[in-house]
Amino acid sequence: MESYQPEYEKNGLLSDTFWKTPQRAIPGRPCQTVKRAEVMSGSSYQQFQASVNDAWDLGDDDIISGIAETKISKAISQTAALNVINSHRNSSKNVNKNDVKVESEIVKPKVEAVEVKKNEVRKVGGGAGSSGPMRHYPGRPRPVRWSALTSREESSESKLERFQQMHDSTVIDLDDLKQISWSGIPVKARAITWRLLAGYLPPNAERRVETLERKRADYKHLVRQYYDAERDDDTYRQIHIDIPRMSPLVALFQQITVQVMFERILYIWAIRHPASGYVQGINDLVTPFFMVFLQEAAPGQELDNFPLDKLSEEQRDIIEADSFWCLSKFLDSIQDNYIFAQLGIQYKVNQLKELIRRIDLPLHEHLQTHGVDYLQFSFRWMNNLLTREIPLPCTIRLWDTYLAESDGFATFQLYVCAAFLLHWRERLMLEKDFQGLMILLQNVPTQNWTDSNISVLVAEAYRLKFAFADAPNHLHNAGKSDR
Amino acid sequence: MAKTYDYLFKLLLIGDSGVGKTSILFRFSEDAFNISFISTIGIDFKIRTIDLDGKKVKLQIWDTAGQERFRTITTAYYRGSMGIMLVYDVTNEKSFENIKNWIRNIEENASADVEKMILGNKCDLEAKRQVSKERGEQLAVEYQIKFIETSAKDSLNVESAFYTLARDIKAKMEKKQKEASNPAGARSGGHQLRNEPQRKPTSWLSRCSLL
Repeated sequence: MESYQPEYEKNGLLSDTFWKTPQRAIPGRPCQTVKRAEVMSGSSYQQFQASVNDAWDLGDDDIISGIAETKISKAISQTAALNVINSHRNSSKNVNKNDVKVESEIVKPKVEAVEVKKNEVRKVGGGAGSSGPMRHYPGRPRPVRWSALTSREESSESKLERFQQMHDSTVIDLDDLKQISWSGIPVKARAITWRLLAGYLPPNAERRVETLERKRADYKHLVRQYYDAERDDDTYRQIHIDIPRMSPLVALFQQITVQVMFERILYIWAIRHPASGYVQGINDLVTPFFMVFLQEAAPGQELDNFPLDKLSEEQRDIIEADSFWCLSKFLDSIQDNYIFAQLGIQYKVNQLKELIRRIDLPLHEHLQTHGVDYLQFSFRWMNNLLTREIPLPCTIRLWDTYLAESDGFATFQLYVCAAFLLHWRERLMLEKDFQGLMILLQNVPTQNWTDSNISVLVAEAYRLKFAFADAPNHLHNAGKSDR
Repeated sequence: MAKTYDYLFKLLLIGDSGVGKTSILFRFSEDAFNISFISTIGIDFKIRTIDLDGKKVKLQIWDTAGQERFRTITTAYYRGSMGIMLVYDVTNEKSFENIKNWIRNIEENASADVEKMILGNKCDLEAKRQVSKERGEQLAVEYQIKFIETSAKDSLNVESAFYTLARDIKAKMEKKQKEASNPAGARSGGHQLRNEPQRKPTSWLSRCSLL
């Protein structure tokens, strides 16, 4: 790991540049802040352009802002990732023994770093893991330990201030917002930030109220048009039987009010996306949005068994409509995961295999020797975006980063899966047969994971992406590779 | 490492979404039941070693997602299976009708000599029943497949279903072994095989060695 830093310093990308304003790489990029205006020439025109920029998208159904156009510069996400790695190295003592060379093709996973980190993880909320036999079942979600989510808030007061300042500006610079969000969003700022990052809430303050009102009204109209009308039986039935068994242990999700909200969101999304329709697992992708917007409506409350009927109808409608629109935007970049034959996933599983073969040949060969096929364990990782493998608060933290990934998180998720697999490599290498490997891979012990584990995971994923994604053709064989 | 079993059988559970495949497997492998199971995504894996006529038989069981969209992924596992449980829900007519489609799926993707069994699950829910036991039996006769009604909830017949399937696989395996060691039998067997159209994938027997 030591060897990183010089590498980046050479390029003048010191880690402390993360909080500074990046150089603008794209000509004509609208600029919104006074500070920026001083730096750049022709600023008055650009200011004007920025303030009217989202008018271009007025007629658009799903996408309100031009968010798809914005990109985080490489340098920025790189330094952000480095910052996380560095802060972890500084806060844990024994980590350095596992140096990683970015320039070498075989990069050792930072397993030890994370192992060490585990020992100092703050004890948060309830007992460890769930009880009963469910615990040992593959893909078992753990009960929500919401306190795990809120406890970090105190430690990030200054970060929260930065978010609030940003939210208060007349035109939010989405690039800046993404930069600051990539490493995690404070709870109090999360709901608004997610709306902005998802491209649902316009960056222009003047248009926000009106847009939200219109989209929420649009959603009500969709409910009447699709859900309250005659429904497609097969789609409805599948959703209807899936919702009650989403999180059987969490009282919140056993409330009829909540189940019907999920049902409407999923049914309408499915009907409006006939190429994929509803695929099992998409239900899990509603949950983070739902929880974040619920937490906004019921701040400071324990949500495990929060009675939804305590909220006003208007509040519930907002949670539902906003979850729907954000989900729609979120799924746009990964729709090929859910089309016929799930080609997107099959392709990514092959890419994962190819990637691991290049990064960690011993692990790859270990899996192959024992007959473990990547599809057998990583299919669910990709289909459910790891929601079945990690606790819900961790998923939410992970989505801070996904939503802040500029070119959509579809590519990045591949590297997150790779980092996730490599995280378990030591344990996997100890398993001596197919059965042991498969049981571990389908039940990875993440029940005590917290935000810090996710920070390390995404930093590692970023590092892998940096080292491998931009190498020309490095995955060109992925589509057809066999064992 | 010394093997702790005499045989290894690979089994597969298929059937419509929500018929109780995961519950059946959970009952068999953990002897427990939960009223509300999370939906299976892709495939899940369980094992249990049973004692069968003095032999230790390790069952490696794949639980599949029932939704149509996962079909491409799940059919990849048909081929290596030696036994397949076809599950329907006696309170859901459609899941019963679909058994024919699932059988067709097996014919297209599994080994020709795969052992099969039909399970009519949730037979504890008598009040909600839509498919009579007789219809289940009739279907089984039609396809010449063994049939049993089960209740994962009440732990009814789940154990015996897996034992039956495992015993059938073992019997078939031992019969073929006997034939192989008997020159006359082997010749006629070989002759038959040569004349069989090559439509179906190779038998799992030809690829499965005795462990």
